[in-house]
Amino acid sequence: MTTTEDIPQITDLDSLDGAIARLVADNSVLHLSQSEAEERSGYQAPTADGMGERMIMNMGPQHPSTHGVLRIVLELEGEVIIRSKPIIGYLHTGMEKTGEELSYLQGPTNVTRMDYASPLFTELAFALAVEQLLGIEVPERARWIRMLMCEANRISSHMLFMATNGMDLGAVSMMLYGWREREEVLRFLELVTGLRMNHNYIRPGGVAADLPDGWKGSLQRAIDPLPERLDEFDILMTGQPIWRERLQGVGVITAEECLTLGVTGPILRSTGYAWDLRKDMPYLHYDELDFDVLVGSYGDCFDRYAIRLNEIRESIGMIRQIVDRMPGGDYKIQDKKVTPPPRARIDESMEALIHHFKIFTEGFKVPAGETYAAVESPRGELGVYIVSDGSARPHRMHVRAPSFINLQSMPHMMRNSLLADTVAIVSSVDPIMGEVDR
Amino acid sequence: MAGKSGSRVPGTLKGLALTFKTAMQTMFPKRGIKTLIPAPSIGAMTVQYPHEADLPTPRARGVISLKEDNCTSCMLCARECPDWCIYIEGHKTLAPPRRAGGKPRSVNKLDRFDIDYSLCMYCGICVEVCPFEALFWTPEYEYSEARIADLLHDKSRLGEWFQTVPDFQPYESGSEAKVEKVPR
Repeated sequence: MTTTEDIPQITDLDSLDGAIARLVADNSVLHLSQSEAEERSGYQAPTADGMGERMIMNMGPQHPSTHGVLRIVLELEGEVIIRSKPIIGYLHTGMEKTGEELSYLQGPTNVTRMDYASPLFTELAFALAVEQLLGIEVPERARWIRMLMCEANRISSHMLFMATNGMDLGAVSMMLYGWREREEVLRFLELVTGLRMNHNYIRPGGVAADLPDGWKGSLQRAIDPLPERLDEFDILMTGQPIWRERLQGVGVITAEECLTLGVTGPILRSTGYAWDLRKDMPYLHYDELDFDVLVGSYGDCFDRYAIRLNEIRESIGMIRQIVDRMPGGDYKIQDKKVTPPPRARIDESMEALIHHFKIFTEGFKVPAGETYAAVESPRGELGVYIVSDGSARPHRMHVRAPSFINLQSMPHMMRNSLLADTVAIVSSVDPIMGEVDR
Repeated sequence: MAGKSGSRVPGTLKGLALTFKTAMQTMFPKRGIKTLIPAPSIGAMTVQYPHEADLPTPRARGVISLKEDNCTSCMLCARECPDWCIYIEGHKTLAPPRRAGGKPRSVNKLDRFDIDYSLCMYCGICVEVCPFEALFWTPEYEYSEARIADLLHDKSRLGEWFQTVPDFQPYESGSEAKVEKVPR
């Protein structure tokens, strides 16, 4: 693991052109349908001695290691993968289209269901985009609460990765340990938001509710045992020769290839390219926090695992800083155009009651225009693009889902690797299919 | 490869020892003389439901309860619900006057208030938009049904749940208090 200073950044555009040519030339993506591919590849029935086997095999959509309903069509030469094609759409629910029918008040409850392992990040990107269009500044406390919740969510999401990555590669007890740590963080999220997932907590204009009394104690119960447990993870996985041999040098991708494919997040950082939106394009108050962007040097599955493990440590450090610096004040903006009047005023003033009805029946109007807001989710750059026509509903909403874009790097990582490595590669990309299909 | 396999054994053993230690801590959490008595239900991180009850946080969104007297069938919750899972029917009726000799008041009487919990997304928008404090979250969670149609709960069932509504937790000092007391 090295820090940002040592790594040269890629400024040479020619190297990117070279990467495009290389990605096209390596012919790793299966563009044909299954029957066409079988016909053209000269499919031969397996012979008795097992030689000369070239076949098309489906992995998924119900395979336990495909993290949901991902189907991968693999073209195999014996045990070696020649070409592959990820097939998506089994979880398509039309959430982007649904978002055009829901008002900006109802929007967060829709977008939170996209990336169900880190729901707060989609809410945050949606809220930031709407606030950009409205041109409002949320109060200080709301921003710090958002950062606190997002970093806690990042820990729970990476813990989910630790559990499933261990499980996929045969470290079954990791499944239990990762889940155990995640549970404690989810208890904190439940204490604050009321739900363990799909929180609908970060709203345009602030957050839904203030932190309850006793949040610091609950957070410490979740966070304090973690550094020790992460050291246990190092013993169980990082230091294990079996673990290293299973992951090192598997699924290698270069920084140029990542950039040409638009891959972000731990996959891009594992190649040595230090790109983290929290550092490079700071939102909220991330520029005031002291943290490192972790990069790898080989771009293989092991680097991606190690980066996620150490990002948990960075997040713990960030949460401690946030707790120390949590300011007082209001948790949502008091803007008559955006937020309803305070509850207590409804009983006193007829005007407030009318206002309450008006803001909830019509929703708040957002000025016409278009905007894009991006945050660094545990999987990469998560952006929300909103086109507003001046009404209370988005004219068009698009989510730049990092899982979806990272998925297309998979055929290139898999080329000429063994069938057994597929599981390691799918797991290290860490796709959340709800976000891929949305 | 011989030298490599030499370094392979201790790492694997360390991992196994750690797993074994954690398993022992779960199976035999008691100390002192009682160490040998297995007590996995104490050592386990999970809640042993249904033998012991989970304790949700006061803010937990378990189920939505209704205080029928406060509802004016204004339909704000039904039309703000993102997936339209609230069904309201009502009629106008006359209530006795507030003061003696006054005119009878025209009020809305609630005939039907159903929430379809098979559709509900637990987003809490209905609770937030209710201007008359008729809807509340309660942490109650034991209402699973064998048939999905049985998850449509009517106003009497929602009214029963109102008894389990916790008192509002104080918001942290430094930020403005927003919510009234629960109207018991």
